[in-house]
Amino acid sequence: MDIKLSSDDLAFRDDVRAFFDDNKMKAGEDYFSWRLDWFKKAREKGGWDVPKWPEKFGGPGWSPTQHYIWEQETAQANIPFDLPFGLGMLAPILMNYGNEEQQERFMPDIRDRKVNWCQGYSEPGAGSDLANLKTKAVLSDDGTYYTVNGSKMWTTLAHVADWIFCLTRTDDSGIKQQGITFLLFPMKQEGIEIKPIITLGGSHTVNTVHFTDVKVPVENMIGEEGKGWTYAKGLLEHERTGLAGLSKSLVELEQLKDNARSIQRGNGNLMDDSSYKSKIGELEIDLLATEFTELRSLASAAAGGEPGPESSILKLKGTEIKQRIQKLTVEASGIYSSAWGDKGVGPAFAKGGTAGYLNSRYFTIYGGASEVQKDIVAKKVLGLTKGSSK
Amino acid sequence: MNFELSEEQKMIQQSVERFVQENYDLTNRIKISSEDPGYSKDYWSSMAELGWLGLAFEEQDGGFGGNQIDTLVLMEQFGKGLVLEPFLANIVLGGGAIKRGASQAIKDSIIPGIMDGSMHVTLAYAEEQSRFDIEDVATSAREEDGNFIINGKKSMVLNAESADRIVVVVRTSGSQVDEDGISLFIVDATSEGIQRENFPTVDGLRASEVTFENVKVPSENLIGEKDKGFEILQAVVNDAILALAAEAVGAMEVLYKDTVEYTQQREQFDHALSDFQVLQHRMVDMFMEYEQCKSLLFRATMETVQDPQLSQRTVHALKHLIGKSGIFVGESAVQLHGGMGVTEELRIGHFFKRLLVIDSQFGNADFHLNKFTNF
Repeated sequence: MDIKLSSDDLAFRDDVRAFFDDNKMKAGEDYFSWRLDWFKKAREKGGWDVPKWPEKFGGPGWSPTQHYIWEQETAQANIPFDLPFGLGMLAPILMNYGNEEQQERFMPDIRDRKVNWCQGYSEPGAGSDLANLKTKAVLSDDGTYYTVNGSKMWTTLAHVADWIFCLTRTDDSGIKQQGITFLLFPMKQEGIEIKPIITLGGSHTVNTVHFTDVKVPVENMIGEEGKGWTYAKGLLEHERTGLAGLSKSLVELEQLKDNARSIQRGNGNLMDDSSYKSKIGELEIDLLATEFTELRSLASAAAGGEPGPESSILKLKGTEIKQRIQKLTVEASGIYSSAWGDKGVGPAFAKGGTAGYLNSRYFTIYGGASEVQKDIVAKKVLGLTKGSSK
Repeated sequence: MNFELSEEQKMIQQSVERFVQENYDLTNRIKISSEDPGYSKDYWSSMAELGWLGLAFEEQDGGFGGNQIDTLVLMEQFGKGLVLEPFLANIVLGGGAIKRGASQAIKDSIIPGIMDGSMHVTLAYAEEQSRFDIEDVATSAREEDGNFIINGKKSMVLNAESADRIVVVVRTSGSQVDEDGISLFIVDATSEGIQRENFPTVDGLRASEVTFENVKVPSENLIGEKDKGFEILQAVVNDAILALAAEAVGAMEVLYKDTVEYTQQREQFDHALSDFQVLQHRMVDMFMEYEQCKSLLFRATMETVQDPQLSQRTVHALKHLIGKSGIFVGESAVQLHGGMGVTEELRIGHFFKRLLVIDSQFGNADFHLNKFTNF
């Protein structure tokens, strides 16, 4: 066991830093053209535009340590935003289950950030129990297209998406995990109606999406009809480690400490308040531990291919940590935490703090609620069954 | 950066694991614990023969030149059987101070005996008023004709009952809570003026209150520089925290796994207890706390090996988490075992007691949270 970064790793870190530094947005530059240019240059570095993709599909083929360095550096640098739906969620499914024609058709646009994807999974009656989904896809008599009818809910950024990857039901005769089919289709077409859902923080990120007789050609089906659940589930498990965002949380925690130090209390500041300081301390200790849990998980994945049991706790711990940072921001804002909207009263960090906290409550709900995650750990890691009567 | 043990460390891990499995069932442990000196002399000799007692000593002193990771490997396995042999007192505490600061003459006269199991040492640092503050030292040593005269009382000295030598932390200058002015001496445990009051601890180990009354020690017995002993003491205490944390991680693994197994066998309301979701989630929490402790143990140990100057804050973090999570896992194991959990018949209660004691040693969870946040 050795915590030291090798000279190669240190050189890699310098290389990453230099790249971020050389490609900072210049004053007056247009954000979106800078963004596309940034990814183009990252691609020229050897797949840095798709760090998590395997080498076979153009990724950089980094070691776990390099991924860790990348995450640490990106958390601190000013780099363009990215959305996970195409790059991190659909692309791995295309790589594993899509045919060559589909890979060639969809992956270049994902990589070039040309097409925005959204994820059509949850429904009004299918949340944690995702397999309960009812959106129907019926194959035409000539076998050339599906007709999709039904509703999706909590669809993040559906209102700006060009395409959707969607779980539909093609057969309800067996158990509910069977008969689910994975379809891709454009969002901007007749028969698709998008309605915003405003969340507690007052913002519009998620939507309800209704489908009325939407036609989808069969060549837009991934894998086999009725096997969509397997593809989606494989991804959910594969992606468990991607949701922790710990390096970002560490940066946010340091910012939070600075904010708390700017709040005067008597002769000192809020960080002299022992109750507040203890909460910050416990949070940071959990973060230090979780960061190493992630490293252990990366290392065991690299050694054995499969992430070890420790990886299953990353989403649980990572999301809880993010929520605690939001909560302590609200606490630091004191009386100003109740001001709503864009006015901005009190310390600068107080603006939008409570909205951020309220929205952060979904961290432990989306992508499998924490309680569902615990069910999975109980079953998969501890080998416990649920509710089997004797 | 890598998380793999070396081939040598893996072999040691397996041999300690086997030793614990073969020798440390609950009945045997209770028997050994109840008889003087509170551990098995045979086991201690075996540990010496297997080379475990020499792992952490320098090669020039006849040891294997190992580091805190080697100690982690041993202690984690010891934790799975609640091993009673005085490894912590001898190797990490007494031996740790000697290897860091003693003169070559003292090292030559003591370390070979520690490694072959014939010489027992321990460290006397805590006092009644000091609570967890290691710099709070009232026991004094004054210089007189080339000797030092020690007066005072040391508390909760681990395995002092069987120690041949005691490394004692004393004040040679400064006020009671100054880091400067602390010195370490190695004294013969049978010296005139030393009185040992021996007793068992909650976890079945042994400790003593040790009184020093005009105990005369030659100045050659100084460990490190006079008045500058705090740095050595701090380093030894950090090693002890890492060692205890590794033991705690081993104990927590047994507790969560025993609980999983028990709830699968025990039936109530026509179901195995493990069918109930509320109990499943409690066990998932136990598992998570165990894994998090293990992660932070690796982090603090690896950082200490790389640079002890930079690891202090992480060591505080570790001791906080081990205390808090250890007790959570222990209490949960007892709760999920129901009535059987509060009996001496099952081993889980004994593991719980050990975790309670570990929290109380070298600063509890609150103490280290405070140190961490003020660092």
